[in-house]
Amino acid sequence: MNIYKWVSFSGLAVCAMILSGCQNPNSGGPGGLGGVTGTAIDDDVFLTDQGGLPTDGDRTMFEYVYFSYDSSGVESRETQKIEAVANYLNANSSKGVILEGHCDERGSREYNLALGERRVLSVRDYLISLGVNDSAIQTKSYGEEAPLEMGHSKDAWGKNRCCVFAIYTK
Amino acid sequence: MKRSFLFFLTTLFLSHLSFAREINVVKMATGEITINLSAYQTGRSQSSRTFLSVLKADLNRSGYLRVTSSKAAINVTGKCAANSTTIQTSFQLYNAATRRRLMGKKYTQSTKKTRALAHKIADEILFAVTGKKGMASGKITVVSNRTKYKELYICDMDGSNIRQITKDRSIVVAPRWAPNGKAIVYTSYKRGYPSVFLTGRAKPLASYRGLNTGGAISPDGHSMAVILSASGNPELYVISLRTGAVKRMTRTRRGNEASPCWSPDGSKIAFVSDTSGSPQIYIISKSGGHAQRLSSGGSENVAPDWGKNGIVYSTRQGGRYKIAIADPVRRKLKVLQTDWADYEDPSWAPDQRHIVCSRTLKYHSSIYLLDTVKDSPVRLIKASGDWFSPACSP
Repeated sequence: MNIYKWVSFSGLAVCAMILSGCQNPNSGGPGGLGGVTGTAIDDDVFLTDQGGLPTDGDRTMFEYVYFSYDSSGVESRETQKIEAVANYLNANSSKGVILEGHCDERGSREYNLALGERRVLSVRDYLISLGVNDSAIQTKSYGEEAPLEMGHSKDAWGKNRCCVFAIYTK
Repeated sequence: MKRSFLFFLTTLFLSHLSFAREINVVKMATGEITINLSAYQTGRSQSSRTFLSVLKADLNRSGYLRVTSSKAAINVTGKCAANSTTIQTSFQLYNAATRRRLMGKKYTQSTKKTRALAHKIADEILFAVTGKKGMASGKITVVSNRTKYKELYICDMDGSNIRQITKDRSIVVAPRWAPNGKAIVYTSYKRGYPSVFLTGRAKPLASYRGLNTGGAISPDGHSMAVILSASGNPELYVISLRTGAVKRMTRTRRGNEASPCWSPDGSKIAFVSDTSGSPQIYIISKSGGHAQRLSSGGSENVAPDWGKNGIVYSTRQGGRYKIAIADPVRRKLKVLQTDWADYEDPSWAPDQRHIVCSRTLKYHSSIYLLDTVKDSPVRLIKASGDWFSPACSP
């Protein structure tokens, strides 16, 4: 991510914070959110609120991306699916995507929430590398909480380790 | 061949039994104090009988006392009577050897609070006899899918009196009590994305872009440890609940963080990270700096809860989740002996002796109470549906 992008992005984030007044009622005081007091606490944290983001989209347009057990890396045989989504988003500037991350039922629930998020974040990174604007990509990890496939077989587990593309209109 | 194998199994079983009994006797001699409630009179009303049976069960569950109808170290005399709206009770506690009165009390309460009254008196008796804080008056918060959604529930420490707290028709994950024991922090998808909420407050405590989960409020109530992915990767943060200041604690571009919990004095945070290649437990100072790895054995170590007697967590050994208790200073580890089921998400009970956790067998989960001294799981919730992610009130 280049520095201009970061500056405009965090600028937007700060404006959103000030306008909505949420999260930080004393935004002028010490220890405010990064940027508000002029002393960024974190150089790479975009603390934008979820509020107002689309929460649902069309899941029937693209293939799901599948992952290996306890892994969040995009496998080479899955990259074509992501490229198809990137082409669509680059050609349709009014569209955005929610990346919904899922895990199989093995492992701790809370760890799986983070794992599901990491899976969709690696898909997001790939979309960004293909030119998709960051603001058109939302991430939502379900961990093991909303399995797409019931059952406890290896087959069901494999189908549940995935990223679903939900396309929305901005 | 078959017969000799059967014989082998039988002897194994018998030797196991006698072994178990021996341990039990030792515990009785060293640990448990006998208490006789035969002179605690109840009327014919259902409430007064419920009161006494709940009280006896609580005293036995404490692990320190054993209710008996024969000669005992402690004698209780008392009366309990109830009409349709009110329950009244008075009782006296005596040391049988010295005949000294240890305690005498009288209560009047609504019959709707019959169980709460029994729990309160159980804790008072335990304290009068042993000087120890009991768990009977505590509460458990827990998640269940008994409706087709995952909602938050609260029940008493004995698993009774279950009440549904959320009706969001969404998914609840990772509930924990606020340190005052009056509110619960939890993750919910009710606004579409996973955000951290506090019961009784409509506005979320954390709702940044991406993942917001694992909210845990510090013992002083001023800060919240939480997992956020706003930086592009799930990381541990501490948010000031007074100023809104956000402090990032970890920078693990290649790793996940999960499940933060505070040390009892509020100076440290234990959490899960998989930077080593598998999920393990780390400790970091509240002020930041380097995180130190705590766990070593087991292919996975997850879901820590830090109490006054150590850090309890779930350890995966031989393909099963078991409950481990680590002493972070002396670096000692105790793994509780459990059966073939998976024991996960442990939480210290208010007495700091027992642990409440979920037990999963054949893909069904329920809530169990473990005694860290006696390794004896007791099922607390018998209602239908799956029950998981329990957390005990402080």
